[in-house]
Amino acid sequence: MSRRPLLAIVGAATVLLPLLVAHPFVLSLATQALIWALLASSWDLLSGYTGQISFGHAGFFALGAYTAAATSKHLGFSSWVGMALGAAVAALVGLGAGFPALRLRGHYLALVTLALAELIRLVAQNWLAVTGGPFGIYDFGSFTGLPASGLARARAAYLLVAVIAAVGLGLMLYVCHKTRAGRGFRAIREDEVLAESLGINTTAYKLLAFGVSSGLAGLAGTLYAYYIQLVSPTVASAATTSLVIGMAVFGGLGTIWGPALGAILLFAINEGLRFIGVVYNLIAVGLVIMVFVIFLPRGLAGLRLRRKERTLRGDAAMTGAGGSGA
Amino acid sequence: MESLLEFLIQGVVLGGLYALFAVGLTLIFGVLNVINVAHGEFFAVGGYVLFAAVVLLHLPAALGVVASGLGAFLLGLAVYPLLIAPLNRRLGRRPAGSLYLVLTLGLSTFMQSSLLAIGGGDYRQVPPLVRGILEIGPTGVSYQRVLVLVAQAMGINLARIFSLTLALGVGLAGVGGALMAPLFNVYPAVGFPLTIKAFAITILGGMGNLAGALLASLIIGVAESMVVIVVPSQWQNGVAFLVMIAVLLLRPQGLLGRSDAR
Repeated sequence: MSRRPLLAIVGAATVLLPLLVAHPFVLSLATQALIWALLASSWDLLSGYTGQISFGHAGFFALGAYTAAATSKHLGFSSWVGMALGAAVAALVGLGAGFPALRLRGHYLALVTLALAELIRLVAQNWLAVTGGPFGIYDFGSFTGLPASGLARARAAYLLVAVIAAVGLGLMLYVCHKTRAGRGFRAIREDEVLAESLGINTTAYKLLAFGVSSGLAGLAGTLYAYYIQLVSPTVASAATTSLVIGMAVFGGLGTIWGPALGAILLFAINEGLRFIGVVYNLIAVGLVIMVFVIFLPRGLAGLRLRRKERTLRGDAAMTGAGGSGA
Repeated sequence: MESLLEFLIQGVVLGGLYALFAVGLTLIFGVLNVINVAHGEFFAVGGYVLFAAVVLLHLPAALGVVASGLGAFLLGLAVYPLLIAPLNRRLGRRPAGSLYLVLTLGLSTFMQSSLLAIGGGDYRQVPPLVRGILEIGPTGVSYQRVLVLVAQAMGINLARIFSLTLALGVGLAGVGGALMAPLFNVYPAVGFPLTIKAFAITILGGMGNLAGALLASLIIGVAESMVVIVVPSQWQNGVAFLVMIAVLLLRPQGLLGRSDAR
């Protein structure tokens, strides 16, 4: 497939370029971009690839971030334990959210996950003893074992995040393209009833998609927590979900790597817009979502795939599953 | 006992406010099959227009309310030709499914942050449009709230009659935002929690079911009002989310919905 080399070049360049420039500010931006890339791809696995629309990924992301921050702050856990716990808690809650999804489709699933994220935000805001309330959790430390400060720390943190994000992305690409689960996911997206009648275990594949997607979203949250070193309730807000969906739609649904690319580009655009004014980046996100949903459903990833059979892929992610939601 | 009655009455009034918001959403869903995630942002627009008219320009309150409704209505007029119709054209006969949801989520983010860019993040206070309190037994309801109920009830009939449902539905939300501006404050994200509550209400009542939406609004309003007896008030907002998740797990078609609704 012709997109492989392109993908590899973009991926390698993304990882290596910041190391060449080696300025703390550049490394900081690049690190954050990769965290968003992991989150956007995790959303794509569930919503773009499997067609189960989640409006609650901010919630899974926040669960990971808060679990990591709270266990490190209150129990003194190292970042390695915090990362594992954060991903595990998010995966468990995601699996829990997957159960209603066994019965619900389209609109209903989107709305229930939106409510779940709001519930998580409400708990973050009000469970003062553990979450620190509106001010959030801080002073809980960073990645264990990295150099204390300066360029060396920025470099090490970047490499660590890059490796974890690459492993997460690789895992998702592997599951989607090299295992039977990938075919199961696509079958659910295209026509769930048909898939079921063909003997595909849609229940198991749906739960798998929920578990992997929310677990990796949680992992991205733990990276965010240890990198930014502050977790506050705004992380769980609908604006975060909107940003993630914007990144995924921008990059191209149902490809896993498209949303990662979209996340990096949109994050760069957003940071650029900061020079004009902080409020403009979410305006841009809203515009990107609207323009791409209406005119470019395949996103940037689709621009090179015109002749392929993927013409309807971007839409299929949402129309296939959503059609029966009404 | 008296305080219980007081909570009940306040709950019914709160439910009334929710109903009028949820009904606009239900009407739009019923006619266009669009779940408008940006509904609350039109509510916020109404609040801002009222703030600009009454506080900044010192116009009479009635004029401010009309301007709010008109402002949201005109914005709403643009939504169909600019967003929904082009998407429908591209899709042809394929169903839009959840694309409308994602599209209006984008609109919500766009409008919310545009309001932030134009009006800033400050909480704007608006004085009551009418003063005084209507005594009901041991408790009282401010005429401001009564006004909201009456005006919106009239608005529902209007929106049902005309075919410009989307614009009228969000226009209604705009008037609601204006009338409720003195009760809440006005800030960019003021409408979004209401949207989610309205989702909870429409799901509890049965998607697209007007009578169900009214009944569910009262239930949520009373439940929110009563729950503060047992838990601290900052958890009050969780009621709607929990109800929504519970309903979807136990009875996805809602109270009055048909069983094939999912």
